[in-house]
Amino acid sequence: MFRKTLFLTLLLVLFLAACGPAVLATEAPATAIVESPVGEMPAEISAVDGLGRTVALDTPATQIVSLAPSNTELLYAVGAGDQVVGRDELSDYPEEAKAVESVGGSMGDFSTEAIVALEPDLVLASELNAPEIVKTLEDLGLIVYYLPNPKSFDDLYRNIETVGLLTGHDVTDLNDSLKARVTAVDEKIAPLSARPVVFYELDGTDPLKPWTTGPGTFVDLLINRAGGFNVGASLEGEWAQISSEELVAANPSIILLGDALYGVTVESVAARSGWDSITAVQNNAIYPFNPDLATRPGPRLVDALEEMARLLHPGVFE
Amino acid sequence: MIFMRRVPYLSSFTILLFAVLLSIAIGSVFISPAEIWNTLIGRGAEISTSILWKIRLPRTVLVILTGSALGISGASYQGLFRNPLADPFLIGVASGAGLGAVIAMSVQWPYSFWGLMAIPLAAFITALLTVFTVYTIARIGHTVPTTNLILAGVAVSSFATSLTSFLMLRSSDEMRRALGWLMGGSIQNGWTSILAILPFLLIGMSVLLVSGHALNLLQFGDDQAQQLGLNVTRTRATILIAASLVTAAAVSFSGIVGFVGLVVPHLMRMWVGADYRRLLPLSLISGASVLLFADVIARVVLAPQELPVGIVTALAGAPFFLWVLRRSKNQGYW
Repeated sequence: MFRKTLFLTLLLVLFLAACGPAVLATEAPATAIVESPVGEMPAEISAVDGLGRTVALDTPATQIVSLAPSNTELLYAVGAGDQVVGRDELSDYPEEAKAVESVGGSMGDFSTEAIVALEPDLVLASELNAPEIVKTLEDLGLIVYYLPNPKSFDDLYRNIETVGLLTGHDVTDLNDSLKARVTAVDEKIAPLSARPVVFYELDGTDPLKPWTTGPGTFVDLLINRAGGFNVGASLEGEWAQISSEELVAANPSIILLGDALYGVTVESVAARSGWDSITAVQNNAIYPFNPDLATRPGPRLVDALEEMARLLHPGVFE
Repeated sequence: MIFMRRVPYLSSFTILLFAVLLSIAIGSVFISPAEIWNTLIGRGAEISTSILWKIRLPRTVLVILTGSALGISGASYQGLFRNPLADPFLIGVASGAGLGAVIAMSVQWPYSFWGLMAIPLAAFITALLTVFTVYTIARIGHTVPTTNLILAGVAVSSFATSLTSFLMLRSSDEMRRALGWLMGGSIQNGWTSILAILPFLLIGMSVLLVSGHALNLLQFGDDQAQQLGLNVTRTRATILIAASLVTAAAVSFSGIVGFVGLVVPHLMRMWVGADYRRLLPLSLISGASVLLFADVIARVVLAPQELPVGIVTALAGAPFFLWVLRRSKNQGYW
């Protein structure tokens, strides 16, 4: 008898623990803050984000938490660095960003508490973040803007405009200079007829089938724009492992090492079995490439383009 | 004598209470005990109200539910299979749930309520489907031999696991999301997830809590239990369904949290002996406490980063369990 009572009590406790506060939570719909209040002044700033949500702000955001390295770089680039109060663990550029408080995130889990405690008036999420974190933060009454990844340089300029709009900065000069730099590369590439075959290595931990980048990625976009042909373009999927045999057959004339920071060296690549027949290895055209430039969809994509064009066409860019 | 019987309950409830207090008091943001008290009685600052009521408490409750579900279903599985290696994931709940979650993650869902529920829902359904498949394969006529069940479970699990890995490698999506889920990182905060799993947990746990006597009889072997008046086939099916339901509901939002369901029943068995009428409720209570402690570690050890709790349960749980096993004078407890 005693045990039965105990079970029932326990179940009851569990039930109450779960239900009681839930009633509290539903009484105050936190999402109301996100939409512009009906009948009052319409919000000054309004933009549709990558999840199709309309995000509205009365005034430009002044307390911003960035949830992705690319977002942090965008914020600093538009001049909103002073408005950033929190960043994800991996945001390490520009140097000043490292001094900003981290809210976690390198294992995929952010500290929701830390984000709320910073009292941000805008959380800038990216495609790197799961929609669940957007939902969680939205339910806590925060304003979240989910920035979609750019698929072209035009998308990048648009993202910069959006970030400028949300933070109250004029980005005309920034975008003009980025456009001018891209155009300068385009003009030098256009007359060239030779398109070197390029292999970009993401991760060569397994040299028999290194990870590379398929069609539609930033790296693929950059290689094409810099006047090269991406070996991985024939692969299915955005990130894939390519067979060493396939690679030797494709015979790239340039190898870019996105994994140079992780211990892969030019010498170790040249020493891989069977790779000595590859043109790039014979000509010593193996270059380390800063992966942050090419895989973070921020303003440094333009730096990556210039760097890549210089490596692909050394004679033209001196 | 009555007092002696109550001691394990009293102490495990005390430990649970302590774990709950710890879980509410400790987070990556420091809130003073006075402020916590004020907030709990409704007089706190807006920020601490938000953090406590909307972040920490729902998390604490979800951890309690997950831990208790894993504890009690682990004890039930061990009794059902008469096997000390049995854990709640033995016949495919974890691998099935993982497969469902990764399938759901590979699809771009619209940002809506059901879009966000797709992952836990898919995990829940495929977990149950996997168990059902294993059960169907293992069945011979009206009986389901234990060996068949374990072998079919292992085979189907590895099939589902490799399919999961394949999908993860194929998907262009962020792999950390899937990896985090498979290691016990919860994907969504708030009270919605708790309300969603609560009915399944209440039904399943109630069935298991009254199954102690039947599990005791099953320890004599199926034939003996049958002679003692137990409908073995039906009892085993009922316990299996209830335990699977509870586990599937628990992992659907919390991800795959390993080790709790294996270790907690063993610790309880060392403590109070092999009577399932006490083992089941005690595993339920202590499962919650153990997971709460693990969760507190997961959120402070690298703060403000948070670790998936499954890493902590295995990393801290395994050595602790081995230590207890060595120290236990009652080696023949099983």
